[in-house]
Amino acid sequence: MTVSVPPVLTLNSLSKRFGDVYANRAVSWTLQAGRIYALLGENGAGKSTLMSILSGRYQPDSGGIQLKGRPVHFQSPAQALEMGIGMVYQRFMLVDSLTVTENILLRGGPIHLRANQDIRHIRELAERYGLAVKPEMTVRDLSMGERQRVEILKLLHRRADILIFDEPTAVLTHTEIEGLFAVFRRLRAEGKTIIFITHKLEEVMAVADDIAVMRRGRMVSQLPADKVRSRHDLARLMVGREVILNVDKPPVTVGDPVMTASGLTGPAGTSRPAFQDIDFDVRRGEIFTITGVAGNGQEALVAALAGLAPLDGGTVTFGNHTYSAARWRQRPASGMAYIPEDRDRTGSIGAFSLVENYILTQLNAFGRSFLVDRHQAEQKTAEAVARFQIRGGGILGPAGHLSGGNLQKLILARELSRRPDLLIAEQPTQGLDVQATEDVWQALLRQRKTSAVLMVTGDLKEALSLSDRIAVMFRGRILDIVSARDTADIDRIKLLMAGIEAH
Amino acid sequence: MMEDLAFIGQIAVKSSIAVLLATLGEIVAERSGVLNLGVEGMMLVGALCGVAAGVATGNPVIAAAAGALAGGLLALVHGFFAITLRVNQVLSGLALTILGMGMTSFVGRPLIGTPPGVRLRALPIPGLADIPVIGDILFRQSALAYLAYILVPLCWFVLFRTGTGLKIRAAGEDAAAVDAAGIDVNRIRYGCTFVGGLGAGLAGAYLSLSYTPGWKESMTGGQGWVAIAMVIFATWNPLRAVIGAFLFGGLTALQFYFQAVGIELIPAYILKMLPYVLTIVVMIVVNAGMGRRRFSGPAALGIPFSREG
Repeated sequence: MTVSVPPVLTLNSLSKRFGDVYANRAVSWTLQAGRIYALLGENGAGKSTLMSILSGRYQPDSGGIQLKGRPVHFQSPAQALEMGIGMVYQRFMLVDSLTVTENILLRGGPIHLRANQDIRHIRELAERYGLAVKPEMTVRDLSMGERQRVEILKLLHRRADILIFDEPTAVLTHTEIEGLFAVFRRLRAEGKTIIFITHKLEEVMAVADDIAVMRRGRMVSQLPADKVRSRHDLARLMVGREVILNVDKPPVTVGDPVMTASGLTGPAGTSRPAFQDIDFDVRRGEIFTITGVAGNGQEALVAALAGLAPLDGGTVTFGNHTYSAARWRQRPASGMAYIPEDRDRTGSIGAFSLVENYILTQLNAFGRSFLVDRHQAEQKTAEAVARFQIRGGGILGPAGHLSGGNLQKLILARELSRRPDLLIAEQPTQGLDVQATEDVWQALLRQRKTSAVLMVTGDLKEALSLSDRIAVMFRGRILDIVSARDTADIDRIKLLMAGIEAH
Repeated sequence: MMEDLAFIGQIAVKSSIAVLLATLGEIVAERSGVLNLGVEGMMLVGALCGVAAGVATGNPVIAAAAGALAGGLLALVHGFFAITLRVNQVLSGLALTILGMGMTSFVGRPLIGTPPGVRLRALPIPGLADIPVIGDILFRQSALAYLAYILVPLCWFVLFRTGTGLKIRAAGEDAAAVDAAGIDVNRIRYGCTFVGGLGAGLAGAYLSLSYTPGWKESMTGGQGWVAIAMVIFATWNPLRAVIGAFLFGGLTALQFYFQAVGIELIPAYILKMLPYVLTIVVMIVVNAGMGRRRFSGPAALGIPFSREG
């Protein structure tokens, strides 16, 4: 690292308070142009707040920002973007009903729509940076990976040269992540500066030049990536203590199938493939994982299995009954628990208290007749909070105030307390920090002692760490089911995810 | 027979102009994400101010403009509550209607029965008016009707073919995304709410200066509500608003016709209900039949925007 090059961005002792809580406390950071920075830290460490300050969404209470040597004050994201700082939020800022082109052109000031010319310019940008996406497609028909590319194109179209990404890989699959990193490298080659927030240590090792670590609102460490010897070093920096990264997987005797799916076919989608000819069984004592690149039918499949979406054909055997596709949704609700991907909306009600959320899916267990036994409900919730170490507010406080990890643990505690024969867990650790991820993993591994677990995940590491068997979906079909014990090589699964069946 | 048809057609167009103008305005407002149920109130204020300005100045252009402007200003009251204060838009809109009705009844009392000062009479367009039947139906109307003919394609063009329209539609779909793109969501919404008010005000002025000249209490007779229904009927598309408005005008013209010839094939009350029935039918078709492909309303309609979420 040469000292002579002036930094592109300098943060001087930035502080930001929400109420009595310091989200950022005297954070200083110096960034050089043409480098990729990874910003690490557990949930609630203050990363998102810091990036929101940089991108103009929040104003700092004290401290200052220097851009290319000049002090700057942003009153809005628009001003920051004007100065070349753009952010790709975790929740994409795209208008679903508009086309890719319309979304990219959408901005303050006059817009001149010259469809053909605009489309050509966007194609050129896309080609230059390897951001494959069709300009005339409507955003709602795009996969998450494609939407992210649109977001990047939007920033490039506005000539941003500092690009901030808030957990960009959380919604992506393995192949998509590699694609994103290739884009990162190409942006770096063009002299752009990249900051990305992440929880995943291997991503840091894969692509970052520099690493910054935040803990409880402070910047605790900054170092070049090549100075980091192992992921354990990083994990220690992040959490401040040693974490176990190798999952301890106690052997469990596999029992009888709990659910058997045969010939399942989903309704035809508008542009995305639904699923067809799905055959598998999930047995007591195992974690059976369905994985694949997002948009290959696993979302629709799990929704249908959970009874949230219709099935078109095939049969499902569950609890000694075989249901036709049409009857599946009408089956009795008992025996199955479901942890949805969208924990904020499908999994919980933010405005309700922890207690109310806890009893939401099991009202019968807490009611004699019409009334809810509040005392018992509060007692059970308190027990669950203690057992799963759910932190952040009392049991009567709103669930919406919990961090992602704690909310997920609450949902997990709730669903496990129903003693299901089958637990369906969809992207169970997406967006969680290291500690919460490990807690969830341990709970899932424990659960397989008493029931069958069906996991759907795009996180290959998670699939390999936890699963007993892994089914890979591509274009709506299960290409193969591999035993996680026999496959030493990740590459075969990666090939399957890309639709290549090795012989 | 042809004469009857031309007669019904002419009355139908004449009866549809107020609903058409108000519908166009409300489409613009709703496309930006602001639901304004105060159309009836804004139309009444527009009608009253049109007459008052006509009496005061005797100038038809000023009279119509005053009506439109009054509607626009009243809409800004709704804008202040709905956009700046982020009050529930249904409540604020209803309050606007009640305010408009009460205020015009009170303020308008001295004007009841007085001649309107100006009248926008039918203005046959040379040449075009002589086309058989069609000329009678379309081109023997008042100036405001011709203005409405122009505004329909203009509204469509602005909404779907210009950058401004892109911003408006985007603001009605996902305000946070628009904000992130560096566009002032609230400015767009204020602008569109104002335009919506102009449309409603002009619709009111059409009623009091041309359709039934002079001021009468509650003279809009529910046409503001018809306009709100017609926005949905038109699936927020200005071009389809023409069909909705003409249907309403046609049903009104049939009532006149039955009265004139002294027979009542369909009771007038049934005819008055039909626009609403048709709207519900359209809503069912749009929501159930076509799935996500068909437009079933701006996603952020009625949802105030704040950066903190």
